[in-house]
Amino acid sequence: MLADLPRQSAVSSPLSVDPRLERLLAHPALWRAGSASRVPVWPSGFAPLDEGLPGGGWPRSGLIEILPVRFGQGELRLILPALSAITCRTEARWCVWVAPPLQPFAPALAAAGIALTRLLIVRAPQHQRRPAALWAFEQALGSGACDSVLAWAKQASARQVRRLQLAAQRGNALGVLFRPREAAREASPAMLRVALEPRGEGVRVTLLKSRGGARGALDLTWTAVRGEPGGVR
Amino acid sequence: MRAPRTIDLFAPASLPQQAPRTPVQSVAPRGLPVHRSGEPLWLGVHLPALAAPAAAPVPRILQALATRALRFTPRISLAPPDGLLLEVRSSLQLFGGVQGLRAAMAGECAQLTPSATLAFAPTPLAALAGARAGRALEVLDAARLAGALSTLPLTALRWPPELIERLACLGVRTIGQALRLPRAGFAQRFGSARLADLDRLTGRMSDPRERFEAPVRFRRRRELPCESASHALLAAALRPLLDELGRFLTARQCGVLALECRLWHRHAEPTRCVLRLGAPLADAARLAQLLDERLRLLALPEPVRACELRAGLPVSRPMHSAGLWQPGERGGLAAASGVDLIERLRARLGQESLEMLALVADHRPEAAWRVARPEACLDTASARPWEQAPQDGHRVRALAADAARPLWLLPSPRLLRQRGALPRYRGALCLEGDPQRIETGWWDGRDVARDYYNARDVHGRRLWLFREREPPHRWFLQGVYG
Repeated sequence: MLADLPRQSAVSSPLSVDPRLERLLAHPALWRAGSASRVPVWPSGFAPLDEGLPGGGWPRSGLIEILPVRFGQGELRLILPALSAITCRTEARWCVWVAPPLQPFAPALAAAGIALTRLLIVRAPQHQRRPAALWAFEQALGSGACDSVLAWAKQASARQVRRLQLAAQRGNALGVLFRPREAAREASPAMLRVALEPRGEGVRVTLLKSRGGARGALDLTWTAVRGEPGGVR
Repeated sequence: MRAPRTIDLFAPASLPQQAPRTPVQSVAPRGLPVHRSGEPLWLGVHLPALAAPAAAPVPRILQALATRALRFTPRISLAPPDGLLLEVRSSLQLFGGVQGLRAAMAGECAQLTPSATLAFAPTPLAALAGARAGRALEVLDAARLAGALSTLPLTALRWPPELIERLACLGVRTIGQALRLPRAGFAQRFGSARLADLDRLTGRMSDPRERFEAPVRFRRRRELPCESASHALLAAALRPLLDELGRFLTARQCGVLALECRLWHRHAEPTRCVLRLGAPLADAARLAQLLDERLRLLALPEPVRACELRAGLPVSRPMHSAGLWQPGERGGLAAASGVDLIERLRARLGQESLEMLALVADHRPEAAWRVARPEACLDTASARPWEQAPQDGHRVRALAADAARPLWLLPSPRLLRQRGALPRYRGALCLEGDPQRIETGWWDGRDVARDYYNARDVHGRRLWLFREREPPHRWFLQGVYG
């Protein structure tokens, strides 16, 4: 609580002239819109992105959606630094990838700093691919055995996304759902929605929805993370 | 052997000593071992419902009861047709003394047979005789045995009826009266075997008993009350079998790795449903949950009339101490619940549905990795897979890190169309940077000679292409940077 005080006063700069008012605003019973951002997070590994994200990183428990225009435009690379930091901890739980559309290339993942011993890939049977993948996604999110769960979905209804969001909170896991850009038109109960489009040697990230964080677009360049494997601050 | 121990942790040392403790009456105070802990103590169980001569040498109920009783002690002996003996001296403390053990065992008996008599005594024959006479004896001390036995009728010894009658003619009707007869004369008139019986009864002679060994494999069949194809009814019918399996495994401190469920139909061949587990499991609730997932997927040709459960060989189960933290919390053991998740996913999606990735030291992209199964991480000692040594990590990493590699690989390289010498993939491709040559693998027949290029497509995606060095010089797409 005390550690959060400076940030709170920075947000409310026009009001915080009076120290008595500041003390009043610091009262724990007082809930302000900005306080939703005080969730535990994983640093994303990109300093400009961390500033824009609520709490300063990807949420540790909850579902986020990443919406690239097309598959393979840098959406995986965007969360790779965070995944590498998550899986390399000594007490790391599983990092599950549910029904990835192509084969994840192990040498590149290892070079990016991901601990392969914590990575679990779920293959859904062909004939019932979509329901099976969603089921596995929810199970993994809610099990409490995973730090992060990644899934790729062409279609998911708002009701299904809501179930996933609840499961992620129950299992204290970061769920990442990759959806096509068209899904941005539908409402979604996810904590965070990020649209993505390639831009030169990087991507333009647009925060479509972020609880308690800023909204808007920012440009990231990959050179910032290319040098060191992992590229985490 | 050892002096009687009295432990009273909560009595303050300064209090004056109370009146000398009276010798143990019938019941030891709960949890206090005030008897000699080296002497055996037998619990005799008599099941009057089985007294009628049965067809089988050992009735099924007796065997089932012995299997259940394995949770109290491993030293169990059958006394067919209607008796069971348990050596329980070392189990008293755990199960709450004589009273606790009596209640627990009576509970087990009540589930199998309408009535049972339980008697505690230092010798097996005395415990059995007490139970057969219908007396709930509680003799913990050998010194008090003869006194406690003296009022029991001689019929409790199951001697031949004509012998009992002869003794009755002499006015000897109870065990106490028989014990008071002169030994030499008794042996001469009634046979030395009978004297030996009396000696075993009082503990003068040792009485070795054959130990009950429970069957190695679990196999049970159950008829359904009516033919049914309902999934809920099947699950309900299987549940008691699974409960029994759970007890069976718990008694052995084992778990199963494979479980087969057969569903019998009237005409069709039995439907088989096999469950394979990642780690030995003995928990009936979790087994039921996993089997349930499999049963949901089954297509039944006909209604089911009976179900049968066959377990694989019991495998010893690694025991972990329970953690202070919940899984995932601070340093909590995450892998414990990871096993749960992995088994649930496998039960529903199939055995091959879960993969892990491992590195192989090879420059060819398709040979630079392999699929590993999660078993390696669920193995006995390594409930914490992250503590395992990384597999030849350094060299492999050096091979991979010398150039940027795409995060995604196509299942197999995809032939690209060409316009002139340049490849196309859903539009024109723009080649970037210098090519990298990979030419290796001549030793295993899958040799490659390729020049790898990075390219950017019209959607701004970075792709990984190669061009064959051999004449047709075709172009292939192999990876996506992602």
